[in-house]
Parts: sequence; structure tokens; C-alpha cells
Amino acid sequence: MSLEEAHDRWQESASALGERSAYKKVWDRQAREFDVAALAVGGFIDEETLDQRAQGTLETLRQKVGLNREDVILEIGCGIARVGKPLSRLCLHWFGSDISGGMLGHAARRLKDCPNTTLVELATVGLQEFPRDAFDLVYCTVVFMHLFEWDRYRYVEEALRVLRPGGRAYFDNFPLDSDHGWQVFTQGGRYPLDRRPAHLSMSSSREELRTYLTQAGFADVVVHDLPNGLIAATGRKPDE
Amino acid sequence: MSEDPNARAAALQAELDAVKRREAEFRAKMVHEFLDRGERNTYLHSLREERAALVKRGQEASADLEVLTRKLEAAGRKAEALQSELAAIKGSVAWRLARFFGSAPPPAPARPAEHPPAAGGVFTYYFHTSPFRLYRDATFTLRGWAWPEGGGSVTGVRANLDGRLFSGRLGLEEPEVIARYGPQPANPKPGFEITFETPPGRHLLSIEAQVANAEWQTIMGTSIWCEPLDP
Repeated sequence: MSLEEAHDRWQESASALGERSAYKKVWDRQAREFDVAALAVGGFIDEETLDQRAQGTLETLRQKVGLNREDVILEIGCGIARVGKPLSRLCLHWFGSDISGGMLGHAARRLKDCPNTTLVELATVGLQEFPRDAFDLVYCTVVFMHLFEWDRYRYVEEALRVLRPGGRAYFDNFPLDSDHGWQVFTQGGRYPLDRRPAHLSMSSSREELRTYLTQAGFADVVVHDLPNGLIAATGRKPDE
Repeated sequence: MSEDPNARAAALQAELDAVKRREAEFRAKMVHEFLDRGERNTYLHSLREERAALVKRGQEASADLEVLTRKLEAAGRKAEALQSELAAIKGSVAWRLARFFGSAPPPAPARPAEHPPAAGGVFTYYFHTSPFRLYRDATFTLRGWAWPEGGGSVTGVRANLDGRLFSGRLGLEEPEVIARYGPQPANPKPGFEITFETPPGRHLLSIEAQVANAEWQTIMGTSIWCEPLDP
């Protein structure tokens, strides 16, 4: 499938904005074909570019929250395991969670040679499938733009619960005041009112992310401006 | 004719006394011989050597005892070190990972070569009960529907868990799927269900279908975690 064809199919697979909260339905529809799924979650369809982009995310995680060989890591909204596939080689075990079983089907194929990985389909918004105090690092990248604010905060709260004391958290989104962020915002604005898709990307502010993490109970909350035009909030679960 | 036991005992006692007497006479004679030859010290020397040998045996026994004591002390120190190491491990991530799934999951058993996962096929499919989960029961029933995109009827379905095969049930009605995708002449009832065991630990699961009574093909494969059962 060419990139243009994938774009067309992606448009066809889009749900209406009014269905934005029906995350499972919205993202399962976009997961029916691998190329469309890859485009929807990564912006690219070829493995090489997906891997290259994932390296950028790994570097960001390494710099902002650290990556250790002994880490048990959870990704919220892992999609096709764009980040999880290379990250699994750098940690003890990587868990990928996603609300779309269709996306996880593609992830399973990409992870067939990565035994220290586990995929878990989320029943709804939240991390109810996981016990408390289980992970060293929980991260969520390029996901918040597709969620309503209340659901963003729900995942932050849940991340605190499933992290072990001292565990680290990372959440990112695009802001309006970066070139990249403004470009995404204006592109979204070009959709006709009646054709705005459910997955339409919506920004976060630094104050918003900082407030989520602080209100949830994280310590050492820091908001970072990343070179790729995103902003990221990091925090640490307080020691018991 | 029976012999009188008392008489027999008296005879044996007399014989024993005679032997003792002869031995005493022999020893006395030997001493006299040593004395006659002016080698009194030689006999004393042999007695002293016997005593030295006994002392040496006693010393060796003491040395053995000391070695055993040292080994016991070393074992005690090793036990203390292991206790410390265990405490450190219990604080480690790996231990928490094991706790996350209950007791430490055993390594995945070696997959029998006769049942490796089937080659991947291209199927249109859906699982009503998602296989992407933390397995918490002794068994799991996967329900879904599938047909090969290249055509052909599905004539068998199974789960392959680390090489162990679990046959499934085919031919379940899926009216909503047929309504959505249109009639599927090769697979008019594309639904299936497979129940497979989920022993604690990490396993490789592949859901496989047999197409047109020929080769088996993998619909979907993934690594799964199974938690120990609650006591």
C-alpha cells in the first residue's frame, strides 16, 4: 500500500468527532489494516522510519526519566508497539497496553521476536488490568492529543497507582506555542465542521500537564520542552 | 545322644584358660628373651611407639574435628551472606516482577520440535475474548471468528501454547459478521472457540487454523503472562 493510499484509507476509517470518547471503537476501526494503523499512530508506514522515530522517543525517555536494564516498564497506548519493540531490548520487561485489540494484533506481529514483552488490552479508560506498585516506569507518548482532558488525568492517576514507590512517569503532548504544535492545530482546523474526526489531535498546556501530575500526587514534577516541539511532564511516585 | 551343656561349657572354659595361660607364658618368655639379649629398651620402645600411634590418631581425630568446625563456620557465614543477598533480591525489580505475577514464573518449557507455531497466514478475524490480557485462571476460552483472505474454508482451529495443542470448536454462527462482510460461501459459520490451559509463567501462544484440510496457519501469535492461581 502506498503512503497516499494509506492516507485515503485512514480518512475512510476515521470516526466522527462525536464518537471521540468511544476510544475502543475509534481505534479498532483504524487498526483494521497495518499500514493504516501505522499511519494513525506513528505517521509512517515503513518499518525503517518507524524504528528511526522510535529511537528519538527512546532518547527522550533516557534523558528525562532514565532507562535502566532492570526496569519493568508500562506504556499506555502502545498502539503497534512502535516504541516498545526497541525499548524491550533495553529493559527487563515491557508491557504494552492499549484500548484497541486491533492495534495490539499488529503489535503482536511486530513483537514476535521479543519474548520479554506482554500486551494487555484495556477494557476502558484506566489501568484496571494492572495491580498497584508494579512498574518502575510508566510512560505515555503521542496519545494525550487523542484523549479528552478527563481521560488524560485518569491515566495520570492510574499511573501513580501502578508505579512502585520511587517509580518514574512520563506524559507528553503538543503545545500550541511551538511551531510543530501550531501546525498540528491549524491542520486540524481545516476539517469541515461536520467531518472532524474522532482522533483529531488536541493540544495540552504546560500548566495542564503540571496540574495533572501534581493533583494526582506525583513528586518532583517537571515540565520539559522537547526539541521535537512536544512538551513532556515527568514525575516520581513518592516513597512510602 | 545329647551332650551335657555344663560339661561342654566347663571344657570350653578350660580350653580358654589354657590359651590365656599359653599367651601369658609367650609374652613372659618374649620379655625374658628381650631381657636376656639386653634389649629391655627395645620392648619399651615398641610399647612407646604403640602409644605414639594412639596419640597421633587422637591428634588426627582432633584435626578432623577442627576442619569440620571450620566448615560449619564457613557454611554459617555463607548462609548469612545468602540471607543478605536474598533480602537485596527481594528489594530488586526482578523480584517485584515475579511478585507481580505471584510466585516467580518458571521458564517457558522447551517447545517440542514437533509442534512449533504454524507459519503465519493472512486472515480476516476478530477475537470476542481478547487474548491480550493477564491470565488469572487455570484455563481460558477464546471466542472469535476468522477466515483466510486468500479463500478456502477453515477446517480446523486450535491453540498452540509452547507446543501444546488445544483443539477448538468450529462452525459457530456469526450473523452480525456475515451481515457486515457479506456471505462467506467457504465459511458460512466462521465462529469458533478454543479452550486452552494457562499454567503460570510466560508462554508463546499462537491461534492456528487449518485451511482446506491442508496446512495449519497462524492467525495470531503473541507472548502471554499467566499468573499463579489464588490458593
